[in-house]
Amino acid sequence: MDPLRQDDFDSQACGSIAPKAKPCPRPKPGEAAGGCSFDGAQITLLPIMDAAHLVHGPIACAGNSWESRGALSSGPSLSQYGFATDLTDSDIIFGGEKKLKDSIDYIAGRFAPPAIFVYSTCVTALIGEDMDAVCKEAGDRIGIPVIPVNSPGFVGSKNLGNRLAGDALLQYVIGTGEPDPETALGVNLIGEYNIAGEMWDIEKLMNSAGIAVTSRITGDARYKEITWAHRARVNMVVCSRALLGLAKEMEARYGIPYFEGSFYGAKETTYSLRQMAYLMNDREMERRVDRLTEREEARLGQELRPYRKLLRGSGLYSIRGRQKLVRHLGPEGAGRSGRRRRDEQKHGG
Amino acid sequence: MISEEYPVAYCNTPSFVGSHITGYDAMIKGILSYLYTRSGIESKPGSGAESGEKLNVMLGFEPYTGNFAELRKILGAFDTKYTILGDHSGNYDSPATGEYEYYYGGTKLADVPQAANALATLSLQKYTLKKTQEYISVTWNQQLAALSTPLGIKGTDTLLDTISELTGLPIPAILTEERGRVVDALMDSHPYLHGKRVALVGDPDLLIGLIGFCLETGMEPVHIICSNGDVDFNEVKFKDEAESLLAASPYGTEATVHVGKDLWHMRSLLLNDKVDLAIGSSHLKFAAKDAEVPLVRVGFPIFDRHHMHRYPIIGYQGTLNLLSLIVNTILQQLDDHNSGFNFELVR
Repeated sequence: MDPLRQDDFDSQACGSIAPKAKPCPRPKPGEAAGGCSFDGAQITLLPIMDAAHLVHGPIACAGNSWESRGALSSGPSLSQYGFATDLTDSDIIFGGEKKLKDSIDYIAGRFAPPAIFVYSTCVTALIGEDMDAVCKEAGDRIGIPVIPVNSPGFVGSKNLGNRLAGDALLQYVIGTGEPDPETALGVNLIGEYNIAGEMWDIEKLMNSAGIAVTSRITGDARYKEITWAHRARVNMVVCSRALLGLAKEMEARYGIPYFEGSFYGAKETTYSLRQMAYLMNDREMERRVDRLTEREEARLGQELRPYRKLLRGSGLYSIRGRQKLVRHLGPEGAGRSGRRRRDEQKHGG
Repeated sequence: MISEEYPVAYCNTPSFVGSHITGYDAMIKGILSYLYTRSGIESKPGSGAESGEKLNVMLGFEPYTGNFAELRKILGAFDTKYTILGDHSGNYDSPATGEYEYYYGGTKLADVPQAANALATLSLQKYTLKKTQEYISVTWNQQLAALSTPLGIKGTDTLLDTISELTGLPIPAILTEERGRVVDALMDSHPYLHGKRVALVGDPDLLIGLIGFCLETGMEPVHIICSNGDVDFNEVKFKDEAESLLAASPYGTEATVHVGKDLWHMRSLLLNDKVDLAIGSSHLKFAAKDAEVPLVRVGFPIFDRHHMHRYPIIGYQGTLNLLSLIVNTILQQLDDHNSGFNFELVR
């Protein structure tokens, strides 16, 4: 076997296989837990708004995590229905596979969704339910993809659940569909969940630069869109902690280049837009992006000037991922809190 | 590592066996039985009078810290010694003094095995505490009186009569006076309550209390949903008791009790068969809003209003609080939805 090049592991080197961000640290005793593997898988996939999401387990798994993401939809909201098989004592004893089959049939008959995601939970994994078999049989019979997501709570942290969800997408969804011929192929947004509608603002920005969004994984997503994600020209990984593996695999399978970026702060946004245009290999688009970012940064500078004057010299306490934004404004001694921070970005900000 | 002597109680509470009341019951039984067994004390019911254990009271899954306060007031008026098994109200209602304590009030561990020597145990949630009640009457061999949440005049009368019977003490005059005042208040307000059709949602014991309260004020329960009412394996059936309560009153003729149904069911009922008022937890607000029915928040959980748990809903004072809550909601409705000529200063 050939020895791997050293710079493959150098996270600063271009195209290295070492991810820039480390996985989220395990919560220490006493810290509020970040949810389980099931929770991680569910919040990654739940923003696929027109698909049905069925939780196979006791009601508490679905009930306690319902709507915890805050991802908004511009249209269908079937994923808001908290479908669950609500296993009770006797179901645990005698097996819940029949209930699962009946639930899938009910959902297919009443809602006719483009796909049904079925999630296992701690209890169903431990009692040995053959969820994959039930899903396959149901899918073949009803003609709708029924996708098993094997991420029961005990396998690991929320972050692991995110990755397992990404694996499920790769295995069952991406590559199973083709876009309409008129669809403009552009960028996949991976790890952007449209919390509170912020993805819509980003899309507006991208549209003014003429950059099309091919698939949203998974903010305000539609199932069909994800099936043709393999036709995009660029992958942007917005949350590196979770779905970087997805982007890497798509590069290996489909040759789609990816980059890690975010939209927190002006410099980051400029960088991300520039990267999109650069990786799309489109000079005209790069010029448009340059003009757009110049314009927007100038406008932002104008609007922030009174605040810069006000905040000069004062300390600021910021939470979670907003440090870059705070540094852009300029106060010294900005304090920081929150776990799951991203690592320092090299590109200013 | 903790020492061998450190008390570690085991409580079997898997999520898929029942609802929160099942878990509470299993937990309390686990703690009481563990502490009793490890103490080595042999229960001698009735022998506790010298050491001060007269009566045990179990409130059950009780989110209202005000109910604990009201119970303590009532038992204080009777002037009897009592042990609350278990008293979680202190931790939910701790004062903000600037100092941090870990435990507030509560029931002492050492009091639990001694409680086996009390004259009797009074349970205020007979459907919640099924296993614990059985444990106490069988293992402690103690007299047990099991009621549902004592709401309303009749409910409170039953509570006081039971306490009087168990302890042998007369009902104190101060409580009888309070009863008179609340009856007076009910007389003032009942015209606005009379004939109002209500939808009720809650745990079985709370619903028994609410049904009693509605019927005695002349309100007509119509849709009653109890998603965790027992349906099998139990001698004491919630549905039977609720239905016989309703059948015994002319105001209960329109009612249907739905056991094991959820709030989707209630939403359909509210939209298809309108009522004037809904009484339930915060979860009912979505269905109530869609059906344009005002919601009076009673029960658990109440997440979207403040401080409701600080006021009792049991006892005569609790009856007054419930009454005020309901009648003022109705009066607010009259003000908000009047045709112009009925916007009165005096109601």
